[in-house]
Amino acid sequence: MSDWRRIDIDAFDPDSRLTAEDLIPSYDRQITLEELQPKMQQLRTLSSGGDTRNAIHLITQDPPYSADDNTKDLYFQVVLETLCQVRQVDIANIVKELNTEQQVVLVKYLYKGMSLPEGQKQGGILLAWFEKLTQSNGITPIVHYLSDRRNV
Amino acid sequence: MSQSLRPYLTAVRHSLEAALTLSNFSSQEVERHNRPEIEVPIQSAELLLQPMHISRNEHEQVLIEPSVNSVRVNIMVKQADEIEQILVHKFTRFLEQRAEAFYILRRVPIKGYSISFLITNKHTESMKNGKLIDFIIEFMEEVDKEISEMKLFLNARARFVAEEYLSEFVY
Amino acid sequence: MLHLPTNNTLLEATLIELNEAWLNNAPLVVDRIVSDFDHTTLHLLTPDNENRQWVYLSIVLMTWSSLCKCSNEEFLLRYIQSKFDKYNNDSDNSNIIEILPKNQTVQGYNLTLRLDISKLNNQSITDLSLLKTHIMSYPFQLSFQKFNQLSAMEVAPSNDAVSTYRMQYREDENIYIQPSNDRITVIFETIFNDETDKIFSKVFLQEFVDSRKRNRSIQSAPQVLFSNTPPREIINITTNQNKDVDSKFITFVLFPRHFSNDEIQFKTICKLLQFRHYFHYHIKCSKAFMHSRMRFRVNNFIKVLNRAKFDSNDDEENGTSSGQLDDKRRTITGRKLVY
Repeated sequence: MSDWRRIDIDAFDPDSRLTAEDLIPSYDRQITLEELQPKMQQLRTLSSGGDTRNAIHLITQDPPYSADDNTKDLYFQVVLETLCQVRQVDIANIVKELNTEQQVVLVKYLYKGMSLPEGQKQGGILLAWFEKLTQSNGITPIVHYLSDRRNV
Repeated sequence: MSQSLRPYLTAVRHSLEAALTLSNFSSQEVERHNRPEIEVPIQSAELLLQPMHISRNEHEQVLIEPSVNSVRVNIMVKQADEIEQILVHKFTRFLEQRAEAFYILRRVPIKGYSISFLITNKHTESMKNGKLIDFIIEFMEEVDKEISEMKLFLNARARFVAEEYLSEFVY
Repeated sequence: MLHLPTNNTLLEATLIELNEAWLNNAPLVVDRIVSDFDHTTLHLLTPDNENRQWVYLSIVLMTWSSLCKCSNEEFLLRYIQSKFDKYNNDSDNSNIIEILPKNQTVQGYNLTLRLDISKLNNQSITDLSLLKTHIMSYPFQLSFQKFNQLSAMEVAPSNDAVSTYRMQYREDENIYIQPSNDRITVIFETIFNDETDKIFSKVFLQEFVDSRKRNRSIQSAPQVLFSNTPPREIINITTNQNKDVDSKFITFVLFPRHFSNDEIQFKTICKLLQFRHYFHYHIKCSKAFMHSRMRFRVNNFIKVLNRAKFDSNDDEENGTSSGQLDDKRRTITGRKLVY
């Protein structure tokens, strides 16, 4: 044991290092895809019916934080479709109606969208949302996003 | 400035403004060490913040990775064809070789990106945040411009050279 | 400097120097090696210290052996001598420019010319500095003759009658010349080692192909074609069959107007032989230009970044700069704080 100085003693202490999983807040229960289906259906109806304002409100309220990654991705496809269906002129008004909590959720969806290839194709639309959001609220929602560990 | 470039750059600007709140932070792993936490190989999750992707399209993206004492900004520059690829490669390599003059430039970009910057609390203490952001934004604008200008120049030169050579054969 | 000179300027300058020294009654002894493109080396040597009138000019070319194969060495030598015969019609017997017999050729060279320094004039010096071009023009000259033969025939010649001359002027790089009854096809085979050069060459070659179509004033220039695979004309004779070397093939199609008389023939040959140098030279130039451009751009970026620093003129507003603050901060034991 000549190189005993190099032993990583922290490795023997399970509490020494936090991993990304440790930081995710614990949820009482996990939302499943089946439970989300009605909401996704409702979103589709709203956005195809042209009621984009309510659709956005629905998206930004109570996002499925506790769902697993796969479910989140499927749900996000619907969210992205909805975001893209809003007319450019309506974006500013819809953003103004959102409360702080909802804005943070919206920012989460925007950043997520831009990190995925499907969202990158719609980069212009997502950037338009982003611009309107920062115009009315500054960087506040972004700062909230940075330190929020709940993923959408 | 083209219509879609402006929201892209403002999005990067706002994201950077939010991310550049760095403080001095001594390493938790090694005593009397102070490292940019985003670059540490065994990362401590609590020191990293949520990464931010900003993309104009599939080919032009910025990834901002904030941590408690450092921010890494990765830029993917548009490369439409082979010539642009080689020009971007040459240009970024040229910059990276002069990284010490740039303070915040990372010598190697992270995988998948053309060029990376690493801003630490040292930099934000000795430089103005606003101007640092201005630099990154200006850099993004200029690189695109530079690449397309170089490409145009290359084509123009090739055309001139070819015509000049062939005109010698006109009798 | 858009065009490269056809002759070898150093060789020319040396010969002028020798000639002038002789005329000033102070003949020089010379032993000078002069390099040229395509692995060509020229050597000027005074063989006899006592008799400085005579100078040996030797040349070695990579392409020599392939030139000999075009017909045979004897004809080749005769051809080269014929280029200088016009200077040798003096009344006395000693020739001004004469090819030495094979056994007297300077060791390591393909060919040695014996020059009479005292009798050289500007015209002959220029011609001597074109020695490499003269030698390499041989297969072109053969092609012109062949073309005349073929075009005089009433029936179109069958493919068997078509002969192709090959000049290997660098490793893995060749020039193929194929005369037929209505045209002469010249094909350059070239490779690029550098990744950047490869891509730049594509842009340049494309322009060579396109510019003739675009610019009406150069319509009469030879047609230029470009491909990555051997063209049909040389598919059977190309030596370079291995696929990992990615050669580029550039074809020039010469029509009778490009070699209608001796003067035009020579001009065409000069230009064609220069093609590779010209082309590579301009690729290098572009790279150099890009480099200086990037240098300029980097300086600009550094200026922008330096604006971000807390400068001395900002210090008045901010009180003390953070740098000074750091220096003043000490630990309780008086040691400097190190982050």
